[in-house]
Amino acid sequence: MRPDDLPPALPWRPHDWRKEDHLLKVLADNATHYPTQVAMRERDRGIWQEYTWREYHEHVLAFAAGLESYGVRPFEIVQIIGDNRPALYFSMVALGALRAIASPAYPDATPDEIALLAEREDVRCAIVEDQEQVDKLLQIEKERGERYRLVIYDDPRGLAGKMPERFVAFTTVLERGRERLQFEPTLAGDLQQRPSAHDVAVLLHSSGTTGVPKGVPLKHGHVLSAVRNAAQAGYFIEGEQHFAYLPMAWVGDYIFSVGAAFVLRFAVNIPERQETVMRDLREIAPTMFLSSPRAWSGMITRIQVGMSESTLLKRKLYDIFMPYATSLERRRLGGHEPSLVERLWRWLGDFLIYGPIRDQLGLARVQRAYTAGEAIGEDDFLFLRALGVPLRQFYGQTENTALCAAQAADDVKLHTVGRPFPGVEVKIADSGEILVRGDNVFDGYYDNPQASAEALEDGWLHTGDAGYFEEDGSLVVLGRLSEVAYTASGERYVATYIENRIKFSQYVKDVCVIGENRPYLTAIVCIDLEAVGHWAEEHGVAYTSYADLSQKPEVYDLVAGVIAHVNGVLPPGQRIRRFVNLHKPFDPDDGEVTRTRKLRRKVIYERYAPILEALYDPARHEIDFQATITYETGETGVIARLLRLYDVAPAQGE
Amino acid sequence: MFYRQSGIYHTRYEATRRLWPIPFERWQVGVILLLVLAAPFYLSALYLQSYLLPWLIWSAATLSLTLLMGVAGQLHFGYAAVMAIGAYSAIHLVRFGLPFEFAFLGAGLIAALIGCLFGAAALRVKGLYLVMATLAMQYLVDWLIINVPAISGGAHATLQAPSARILFFSLENDLVRYYFALAWAVLLTVFLLNVKRTSFGRALVAIRDKDYAASVIGVNPFRYKLLAFFTSSFLGGMSGAVLAFCFYRAVTPEQFSFNVSTQLVAMVLVGGLGSVIGAFLGAGFVLLAPMILTNIVAMLSDFGWLNVSVNLLSHLPLMIYGALILGFLLAEPLGLAKIYDNIRNYFLVWPFKHSRR
Repeated sequence: MRPDDLPPALPWRPHDWRKEDHLLKVLADNATHYPTQVAMRERDRGIWQEYTWREYHEHVLAFAAGLESYGVRPFEIVQIIGDNRPALYFSMVALGALRAIASPAYPDATPDEIALLAEREDVRCAIVEDQEQVDKLLQIEKERGERYRLVIYDDPRGLAGKMPERFVAFTTVLERGRERLQFEPTLAGDLQQRPSAHDVAVLLHSSGTTGVPKGVPLKHGHVLSAVRNAAQAGYFIEGEQHFAYLPMAWVGDYIFSVGAAFVLRFAVNIPERQETVMRDLREIAPTMFLSSPRAWSGMITRIQVGMSESTLLKRKLYDIFMPYATSLERRRLGGHEPSLVERLWRWLGDFLIYGPIRDQLGLARVQRAYTAGEAIGEDDFLFLRALGVPLRQFYGQTENTALCAAQAADDVKLHTVGRPFPGVEVKIADSGEILVRGDNVFDGYYDNPQASAEALEDGWLHTGDAGYFEEDGSLVVLGRLSEVAYTASGERYVATYIENRIKFSQYVKDVCVIGENRPYLTAIVCIDLEAVGHWAEEHGVAYTSYADLSQKPEVYDLVAGVIAHVNGVLPPGQRIRRFVNLHKPFDPDDGEVTRTRKLRRKVIYERYAPILEALYDPARHEIDFQATITYETGETGVIARLLRLYDVAPAQGE
Repeated sequence: MFYRQSGIYHTRYEATRRLWPIPFERWQVGVILLLVLAAPFYLSALYLQSYLLPWLIWSAATLSLTLLMGVAGQLHFGYAAVMAIGAYSAIHLVRFGLPFEFAFLGAGLIAALIGCLFGAAALRVKGLYLVMATLAMQYLVDWLIINVPAISGGAHATLQAPSARILFFSLENDLVRYYFALAWAVLLTVFLLNVKRTSFGRALVAIRDKDYAASVIGVNPFRYKLLAFFTSSFLGGMSGAVLAFCFYRAVTPEQFSFNVSTQLVAMVLVGGLGSVIGAFLGAGFVLLAPMILTNIVAMLSDFGWLNVSVNLLSHLPLMIYGALILGFLLAEPLGLAKIYDNIRNYFLVWPFKHSRR
């Protein structure tokens, strides 16, 4: 990537970055002012190896000098492949000193994926973690011919023996660099001067749910602006203990473990292996923790399983205090100020249950916990906050350096992602799309002018997400814009957004929201047999089968409660007016959902057309319907039922 | 709930071996140390001198014995004799004119040498046979002390501990005696806590588990069995000297009879073989439980709640005591230390049932 190939600073939005304000400069400042402060810790064979800022800086400069003598050129793209390792972080920063560009790839990427990226970006050098990754590169070369001019590996285990001379150990390069620094006294200062804030710091890749991943070059200035904006909003503070366990190729890890870590002098803690993450997390007890809704949910499951098999007294205490905390947290988010008695009771619970659980998980010291990526379930969110984990949601994409908006510590709501950071402009286009502008927004995709032009218009990044602003200025993200639909009255809605909210309830397995070109929204609900069955047993509702259970009046009331609850947080035009409990679950064998359980709306609309018609016929209150089911053998059968159409009571104020 | 373990990480291997990595346990140790240090200021002289002081000294003796029985696995049923040697040697050495500090060391050395002599039997015999050999030592030493007037001062004589000074403090003072015994108990505790982590301690454990397997991996059983007897007798002799100077003040052969040996073994077993906290719990239980039970029974009968014959009344505490020992050992054969450990584990994984991975 020559300078000319780099996306230029866009004419309508000149960045006013100072040229010398780049990551290397920030690192050098840290090394000068805080030489003995710990910058990085890596768990290696049971103990934590520490690197101070001075050592960090020294490693980066030495490695940069070594890389140069091994022929890494400015503006060259270098792949970084592996799990989080100090050597790989050093490499990413050192490449910046040479004005070369680090392009991290996911450690579990297949050889084909790596080769594809390498070919598209003309990669000739790679810095990899261990034998596993080296083997991938060797396989690529075996299948597609020689590609790599230089491969540097960090962990030499299993690599002794016959290897091409192009494959060099990290320490060898480092040593060569150290020698150079010794004999060329001006080199260190020179390396420090070379980069500019307008250089690309890292080449990341958009998630690529649709088609090939697009290269997203982020410049030093983008990274620093994004981090400073977020820091200004109190998103993270100076000197955090950060736990770097998320893949290095993900924008969040680069921003947290390099960008923010430099600006705010985090101690970046790296687990020994992916398998030891939970244990290492407890040892470090970070002050800031970032995870995906799925991982948070897994954590909760671990707690619940652990408690269900625990001894009597412990379980009883948990059963007393946990529901209490959850309900208190729910009321608190609703604006309730806890009374003195409530606070005392919560304090006791914190001593007996919440504190020890946080301690067991390693979240005892977490002041800032974040979830991002997708919507988190209401119950999960409340559970974690009730535990005393101050969980918040944030919003961002690779294209805007992951930092766009976040909930404030004292203003957390379930369905919003909070207010935009200072310095980040967010507006809603007429189409309902969320547009973002600011110094944290990238300048265009790598080698893809067409996509860049589509994504950036007048400096506004088209996120592809649909959303709206609440009256208090917090942003609500509805889902992908491509999923936005309109009712006959022109009301805009995102079916998956509403469906996800409904599915947060354990009683609903699947739901299909209907309403495109219809007067109002309705839903076809498939109950969760296990959860509702359990509920029925506890409430004395006798049933024989899924079909039977689904049509019980009590179950209808239960589901109606769930839907009414979701309706409460939706704008009036997007509320579900009517629903039907389907007497069979959606099944991939029947083609109603994919194997990954995504709805196939077309199939559902066709197959259940009579039900759909009935839902929009106010005169009808039930429908006789025969559903076809496919058995595993391929034979088909029919389940017939009289289905009830349930009118959801209108919410207050309607 | 109490044991918060997150945030404990180590940057050096030395640090991973620290004794109490959990902050709560450091607190625990600190509070206990503070309590015993301040004991003279809040305990009455009676409780201090007749409960706490003997408890500390017998705990020290139990610690010395548990090194031999628990760590090195060599049974010893004549440990009272070892202490007797220490006690008599110290008294005679001080009377001879040696400063107490040297007499104290000398008592240990003499006990160690004689202990080693009998310990040498352990090189050839094991288990019950070793018990017999140590029993022989008990009776031999008893006989010698009683029948050599130069040692005991006569068959039924009481030998007064002469007045002595430790460093600059006179042992005539109650407080000095208490703090000296306390210092000795603390010193032994620290020693035993650490000895298990040294190559010496590991060698002893290897011998305990299987002596010829130990010799296969290069641990010389001859050497380490003798060393175990030497060290344990050395410490036992000194504990005997502490007992004589700080608690009894005047010694008679009966104070070191076979009964006392079995009591010491009971302290080790009830407490838990090889455990440091077990030594304190075991000594406390064997020593204090009869006293406390007697008090309780006496109190109950004073209130008229216990209407039994005087004869039964005097035996009742012993019966309860015996039942308690049986009960504890049936419930947890590994002793009070294991019971403590179970409780600790219960809270360690709180609120789960076992540690999470």
